Amino acid sequence: MAASRRLTKEIADLKTHGLRSFRNIIMDESNVLHWQGLLVPDNPPYDKGAFWVDIIFPSDYPFKPPKVMFRTKIYHPNVDERGQVCLPIVSPENWKPATKADQVIQALLALVNDPEPEHPLRAELAEEYTQDRKRFMRIAEEHTRKHAERRPTD
Amino acid sequence: MSSTGLEESDACAGDDSKRSKSSEEDKRGLMKRAAVKQKIERYYHQLTEGCGNDSCSNQFCASSPAFEPLDNNAAALRAVDLCRNKARLCDPHPSKRGATVLRSPDHSKAAALACSGPLPEGATGGKVSQPPRQNSTDVGCLTEEQLEGIVHTCRETGDLAPLVRIVGRVFSCADALALSFCHNATPSKEELKARQARDEDKDEDEKEGDGGDGEPMDAETTMMTTASEMVDTTHACHSPTVSPPAPSPPMPQSPDAEEISVDIEAVRRSYRLLQEYDGVETALLNALLCLSTNVECELAYHNVYARSPHYLNIFVIVMENPSLHSPEYLDAALPTFCKAMSRLPTLAQARLVLLWAKNDANELRRMVETFQQLITCRVITQDFGSQRLVNEDDAVVAATKCLKIVYYASLLGGEVDSNPRDEEESEEDENDGEPTDSTFRELLGAVPRGKRPMPFEPLAIEVGVQPIDCLHPLVPHEDFINEPLNDVLEMDKDFTFFRVEQEKRFSFMTCPFILSPVTKSLGLYYDNRIRMYSERRITVFHSLVQGQHLHPYLRLKVRRDHVIDDALVRLEMIALENPTDLRKQLYVEFEGEQGVDEGGVSKEFFQLVVEEIFNRDIGMFTFDEATHLFWFNPSSLENEGQFTLIGIVLGLAIYNNCILDIHFPMVVYRKLMGKRGSFHDLVDSHPTLYRSLHYLLHYQGNVEEDIMATFRISTLDMFGTPVSYDLQENADQVPVNNWNRQEFVDLYANYILNTSVEKQFRAFRHGFHMVTSESPLKMLFRPEEIELLVCGSKVLDFHALQEATEYDGGFSKTSRIIKEFWETVHEFTEDQKCLLLQFTTGTDRAPVGGLGKLKMIIAKNGPDSDRLPTAHTCFNVLLLPEYSTQEKLKERLLKAITHAKGFGML
Repeated sequence: MAASRRLTKEIADLKTHGLRSFRNIIMDESNVLHWQGLLVPDNPPYDKGAFWVDIIFPSDYPFKPPKVMFRTKIYHPNVDERGQVCLPIVSPENWKPATKADQVIQALLALVNDPEPEHPLRAELAEEYTQDRKRFMRIAEEHTRKHAERRPTD
Repeated sequence: MSSTGLEESDACAGDDSKRSKSSEEDKRGLMKRAAVKQKIERYYHQLTEGCGNDSCSNQFCASSPAFEPLDNNAAALRAVDLCRNKARLCDPHPSKRGATVLRSPDHSKAAALACSGPLPEGATGGKVSQPPRQNSTDVGCLTEEQLEGIVHTCRETGDLAPLVRIVGRVFSCADALALSFCHNATPSKEELKARQARDEDKDEDEKEGDGGDGEPMDAETTMMTTASEMVDTTHACHSPTVSPPAPSPPMPQSPDAEEISVDIEAVRRSYRLLQEYDGVETALLNALLCLSTNVECELAYHNVYARSPHYLNIFVIVMENPSLHSPEYLDAALPTFCKAMSRLPTLAQARLVLLWAKNDANELRRMVETFQQLITCRVITQDFGSQRLVNEDDAVVAATKCLKIVYYASLLGGEVDSNPRDEEESEEDENDGEPTDSTFRELLGAVPRGKRPMPFEPLAIEVGVQPIDCLHPLVPHEDFINEPLNDVLEMDKDFTFFRVEQEKRFSFMTCPFILSPVTKSLGLYYDNRIRMYSERRITVFHSLVQGQHLHPYLRLKVRRDHVIDDALVRLEMIALENPTDLRKQLYVEFEGEQGVDEGGVSKEFFQLVVEEIFNRDIGMFTFDEATHLFWFNPSSLENEGQFTLIGIVLGLAIYNNCILDIHFPMVVYRKLMGKRGSFHDLVDSHPTLYRSLHYLLHYQGNVEEDIMATFRISTLDMFGTPVSYDLQENADQVPVNNWNRQEFVDLYANYILNTSVEKQFRAFRHGFHMVTSESPLKMLFRPEEIELLVCGSKVLDFHALQEATEYDGGFSKTSRIIKEFWETVHEFTEDQKCLLLQFTTGTDRAPVGGLGKLKMIIAKNGPDSDRLPTAHTCFNVLLLPEYSTQEKLKERLLKAITHAKGFGML
C-alpha cells in the first residue's frame, strides 16, 4: 500500500502529541485508510457532547484528499443530514499533498466551533443561526444532549 | 506646398518603379543626377507656379494664359516628361527666382526620388534596361551605424533627400539588402580599419555640415560625398580582393537559425528610426515593389538562394517593416513580396521558421495580421466564387503559403510536447489484412489502400514539429483561420485539387490552419463520400463480373433490445473478413421496423450503442463524477475485441457524419492522433491528480519529508480495491524527493494515461483506424477539432438546466429573484455560462444527456446583502442572497463567477 507509510507516521505523530479535542483515534489494522476519532468541540452549543468522525483516505493519498464524515448526528449549518461536511481544505480544488491529517482535523474543529453561515449546507439552519441565534442555540444544545456521545471525563 | 512633396514622390516613383533602377554611383553620375534633379525641379516650378511672366508663351508654364492648372502629382509627372523631352524652359522671372534657389525639403525629396529611379535616358547613360544583378555590385549595403549617420546629417541639414535615396536604393536591391544589417560579431582587421576610417570621414563630414549651416547647398553636396564614400568603404569591405567578408557559409543542409546573419534588433531599431520621416516610408514602399519583383524572378528562375544563403536576409529584413500591413502595401508591394517569399525552397522557409520561433508573440502576431489582412482584402474586394476560384488568385495563395511559415514558427515557438509520437500505430496498420484482390480493385479505380499515404507537410518535417506536438502556440490557432476566405472557398473544387495528382492548382487543404473546422469537415465529408461511392461502384462490378452477391452498403441489422450484441457480432465479422466494407455507407435496420435509413436510423443506432457502451454497469469505462468524463477502465473484464468495436463505432460516426454523445478527455483524441499521454494531459482527465502533482513539482519545502511518497503508487480496481503499482524497481524503497520528483511525475502520468490502459486503448485505436486510417482526418484536424467532430459543439442548454433545477432555503420556481436569475443567466454569453457552470458544479461540461441531467440546487443565503453568491461544487449548490434588484444580482453573480477560483472566496 503506497499511502500506508505516511498514514502510519501521521497517526503516530497524532497520538504522541495527544490532541485534546480529537481523541480515541482508531486506525483499522487491516485498512489504514479508514480512521475514526472522537471530536470534542469547546464552543457552545456543541460543548455538551462529543462526535464520532470518520476520515477516509483514498488509496492514492496524498495525491487525492481524504473525505471527512460525521458519524454522530449534529445540528450544524455546515453539516448535512447525512453527516457530509464541506471542508475547503480537503476539496479537490484546494487539496495540497503536503497537508497533514492533523491540519484537516484542526480545520474541522474550527468549523464546528464557529459555524460559517455564509456557506451553509443546510440553508434553513444558517438562516436560523443568523436571524434567531437564541433559538438556534437552544435547539442545537438539545440536539447535542440527545444525539451526541458523552464527553471524555479527563 | 508642404504636402506636395509626398504626393509628388508618389507619382514619380510609382512611374519609375516599373523599370529597374540605375545605380550610377561615381561622382560624375552624381553630378549629372544633381543637374537633372535641378532641371526637373525647374520644370515642376514652372508647371506649378509659372515663371512670373503673365504673358508667357510657353504652353508648359503656369503663367501662360493657355495653361490649365495641374495638381501637384500631375505636375510632378509632367515635369519628368518635359525633362526627358527637353522641352522649353522659361527663363525664370526675377520675382520668382527665390523659389528655385531655395531648396525646400519637399522639392528635393521629389527630385531625389525622381533621380534615384531610372532617369531620362540622356542623364544616366542608358543603364535602364540592364538587369539589376549586373550592376548591383555598384550598390553597397547599409549598416545601422551608417543609417544613423545619414539620418543625423539629414536632420542637421533639414534635407531628407540623401536618406530617401539611400533607403530607396538599398531596399530595392536584393544583393545590397541581403548584406545589410549583418551581425558584426568578428569583423576582420581590414573591416575594422575601414570602419574606423569611415567613422572619421563621417565625423569630418559632420563638422563640415556644422560649419556650412547657412549654405544648404553645401550640406547637400557633403551628404552626397558621404554617401558615395560610404558606398565605397562598404563596397571594399565586401569585395573579396580587399578583405574577405564573412566567408559565405557552405549551403546549409539543416535549417539552423544561427546561420542567419542579420541582426534583427538592429533592423528593428533602424525601422523605428526611419518611421519618423514621412518621405522614407514611400521610398520603402516603392523599393519593396521593385525588390520583390526581382527577387521572385531570381528565386523562380535563377535558383539564387542556392548560391547565396544571405539571400534569406532580405525576407527577414522586409518582414520587420512595421508598416507592412498598412493599406499602401496591400495593393502591389505586399502581394509581390508574398509571391517571392513563397518561392523560397523548403529549407529556406524552415530557417525562417526557426528564426521567427524565437520572436515574442506580438512580433509573430503582427506577421499573422499582415498576411491575414492581405488575404482578407483580396477576398472581399474581388468576387470569388465557383466561376472565379480563390485558388487561382496568386496573391491569396502566396500569402497563405507565407502564413504557413509563420504558423510553424508559432508552433515551434510555443510550448512543445517533447514526448515522442506513438510509433506503434504504423506497425498496426501494416498488420491489417490487405484484401487479396487489391489489383482488381485498383483496376476498377478504387482509391488504393495504403498506397497513398497522406502527404506530409515538408515544412513540418524540416522543422520537426507537427501541429499535434504543440500544446500552446505563440499565436492561438484561431488567429490563423481566415473567415472571409473560408466563405468564398469552393470546397468541392479545392478538394479535387487536393486529391487529384495531376492537378497542379493549389489546394487550401494543404494549409489546414487557415480553414475553419466547418470548412475542414466539409473537406472530410467529400473525402468520405468519394470512398463510399468508390466502394459501392466496385461492389457492383464485383457482382457483375464474379456473380457474387455483395452489398453495396454496410448493412447492420440489429434487434432493438440487443443492439450492442447484434452490432458487435456483425461488425466483428466484417472487421475480420473484409475491413474495407467498413468504408461503405452505413445502412442500419432495426429488426421488425420499417424505417428506411436515410441517416436518421443510423443516428438512433449510434445513440443507442453509445448509451449502452458507456453504461457504468458494463464497466468498460470509468466515469469521473467530478469531471463528467469517461476513461478507460484498466481492469475491465471485457476483451480487447469490444474496445476495437468501440473504436470502429467512433470512426463510423465520423465517417457517416453522426454526432455522438460521448465524453472523453482531450487526451483520448490526442492519443488517437498518435501522441502519448503525458503530465499536462492530466489537467482535464484527472484534474485532482494533476493539481497534486503540479503542487509536488513546485513544492518549496522538503518533498521527501513532507509528502512522504514513494515510487510505489496506488489506484483502485473496478471493485474499489486498492491496487499497487511500482513505477520502478524496489519502488517502495525509493522515496520521492526534490531531485527525482519530475521523473516521478512523468512516470506517474505515463502509468495513468498510457501503461495502465495500454491494452484497451490499443484495441480502441485499432478499431478507429480501421475506418479512418486513409482519410485526411489526421492531417486536417487537431485533437480539439476531432472532439468537436465527434461530439458536436459544446452548446449548453440552460433552459434544460432551468427545468431541472431545484430550490432550497425558501426559494421556489416562482420567487422573484429566481425568475430574475434565469433571465440574467439566459442573457449571458456562452463563456459566462461556462463560468457559471464551472463555479457551481466544478466543471464546465454538461453531464451525459445534457444539462437537464444536472441536479443543480439554488438555495437562499439570507436577505439582500452585498455578499457574493457562493457555491458548493461537491453538491452543485448555488447559494444566493436575496438581492434587491436584478442589476445587483447580475453584477454580484458576474463578479463571483469571473473572479472566484474554487474555494478561494471562503
